[in-house]
Amino acid sequence: MFTWRKLAKVFTPQEVAGRDWLKEFAQAPATLLFDDFVRVYFSCRPGADSEGRYVSYSGYVDLDRRNLFKVLRVADRPILALGGLGEFDEFGTYPVSVVRDGQDVRVYYGGWTRCESVSFNVAIGCALSRDGGMTFAKLGAGPVLSYSPEEPFVLSGPKVRRFNGGWQLWYIAGRKWKVVAGRPEPVYKIRMAVSSDGIQWKKMNRDLIESRVEDDEAQASPDVFFANGRYHMFFCYRYSYDYRGKDRGYRIGYAVSDNLLDWKRCDDKVGIDVSETGWDSEMISYPHVFDVDGETYMAYLGDQVGRFGFGLAKLEGRLG
Amino acid sequence: MRWRKLGKIFDPTQHRLPDDCVQFAQSPQALIFDDFVRVYFSTRARDSDGKKFRSHIAFVDLAKDLRTILRVSEKPVIPLGGLGCFDEHGIFPMNVLRYGDLIYGYTCGWNRRVSVSVDTAIGLAISHDEGLTFQRFGPGPVLAASLREPCLVGDGFVKVIGGVFHMWYIFGLGWKKFSASTPPDRIYKIGHATSGDGIEWVKEDGRQVIADQLGPDESQALPSVIEIDGRYHMFFCFRQSFDFRTNRERAYRIGHAYSDDLVNWVRDDEDAFLDVSAEGWDSDMLCYPHVCSCDGIVYLLYNGNEFGRYGFGLAVLDR
Repeated sequence: MFTWRKLAKVFTPQEVAGRDWLKEFAQAPATLLFDDFVRVYFSCRPGADSEGRYVSYSGYVDLDRRNLFKVLRVADRPILALGGLGEFDEFGTYPVSVVRDGQDVRVYYGGWTRCESVSFNVAIGCALSRDGGMTFAKLGAGPVLSYSPEEPFVLSGPKVRRFNGGWQLWYIAGRKWKVVAGRPEPVYKIRMAVSSDGIQWKKMNRDLIESRVEDDEAQASPDVFFANGRYHMFFCYRYSYDYRGKDRGYRIGYAVSDNLLDWKRCDDKVGIDVSETGWDSEMISYPHVFDVDGETYMAYLGDQVGRFGFGLAKLEGRLG
Repeated sequence: MRWRKLGKIFDPTQHRLPDDCVQFAQSPQALIFDDFVRVYFSTRARDSDGKKFRSHIAFVDLAKDLRTILRVSEKPVIPLGGLGCFDEHGIFPMNVLRYGDLIYGYTCGWNRRVSVSVDTAIGLAISHDEGLTFQRFGPGPVLAASLREPCLVGDGFVKVIGGVFHMWYIFGLGWKKFSASTPPDRIYKIGHATSGDGIEWVKEDGRQVIADQLGPDESQALPSVIEIDGRYHMFFCFRQSFDFRTNRERAYRIGHAYSDDLVNWVRDDEDAFLDVSAEGWDSDMLCYPHVCSCDGIVYLLYNGNEFGRYGFGLAVLDR
């Protein structure tokens, strides 16, 4: 079993002033390393509208590379505009995953639209930054990865990586909308696509991670990290019903692979769980693993899926 | 070439239809059998709250004169999609073609949105029983929105030419609010994709293959392609994108283009021109053309006024 030593919560959106688009939530952290700082992208929301509906934006916080608990700055504005009328990302750009491509930075993001019979749908968009990841221009008004025969809806949670000279995208795809107490709840599974240019993707069309707590287990945040000759995936999972509380809410899982495609799930090795008290005592979710100067960290969300921010844990030992 | 109108041939209000449908026989699409012609169309049932329609596929079998009605489908041809799927709120239209022993149906699935009325995508369904019923190739679509085709991918028409599947279809450029007092309207154009198996498609992604006649706000729909004397001809419909439902001058008309290479199309609405009638069932609008060949004769099936609420008619090509 790995040992993740929890450090503390590192960012609290409610403490940020002067940004209408950043009132609460700091979801799905994703890092980009700079010489002097670590830029952590996250997704956040303004207040709800009169009908209780949210839109979501994405921004970043820059953490001092020598002391990750020192916030240097917070983005002044969202990194991505919401889409236009009727476009796939009209009501949200969440979550994001970033990767360097030469001098540029690319972001892959979930674009949200609102539907009549179910509350929403999501497809994956792509945008490019030429200013070091502060602002991004969309490659097109439509998605770069959309619905297909075996992946009919809710393509979200992109995590882009560039192993072995190629492009890999792990993401989630909706399996069903399960009606629980009269309300459709999405069930989604972890999937993968590969590409030679990051634009034209070939879907692998298979579930990568075996479901454990129930057949309708929902899985998210497939964060893949290479260490010690193997690929390690940290992700999160929850029950399909009554999942907004502690008992059936998100936990972090773990799987290992030698070839990026075939994964062995071993949650008993994950080494991180909810705390007895405090900001992450009900659920932990959306793990993101990254290295800084020889140390391995995990950024993750606590209660209410990051409504009050994200924290850091530090790996003791190594990922074997 | 010129079309000679033969009149309306099918009125949905005169028949009992499956799926509790009562009106509309839109976008007729022919499948030729040895001794009859099966014409699929989209008809509509009202939601239980009476507010909105859902389109369903039905068919009518015609004798090979295309005017004598033999029978109307009694059972659903294909159920609508499941909760949250691209085709949950309607299938309109469905294009059919024979492929080996099977019949492929390319559906245009409708799903309702909040800020705009709807989005669409193209699905594949396959029939193993000569077109009586179709089963989905998966719950999701084979062609959906992409980087340069942001919405409203639909109206697929598929033809296998030289072992390659070609699809002409429409894609939305976006939605536009033309007036403060009306809901947003969409603008769409005709595009092209190819495939080796009819399942995995490569789009030209955003290339409008047919030039505009009415300017950038022209919407183009329902492409239908046929080879006549070694040249490919496309028939489609086009209209203004605003105030097109009841204003005769801005409503759908039939357009035409031709191509010798399946890539470059020359628009020529004057050749094989079909005009609205002075009065009657197709006097305000002409839409949803489908061109087919039966026993060496080229026919055009099409809808008239009110987008086909009261059925479809037939024209024959004189050369």
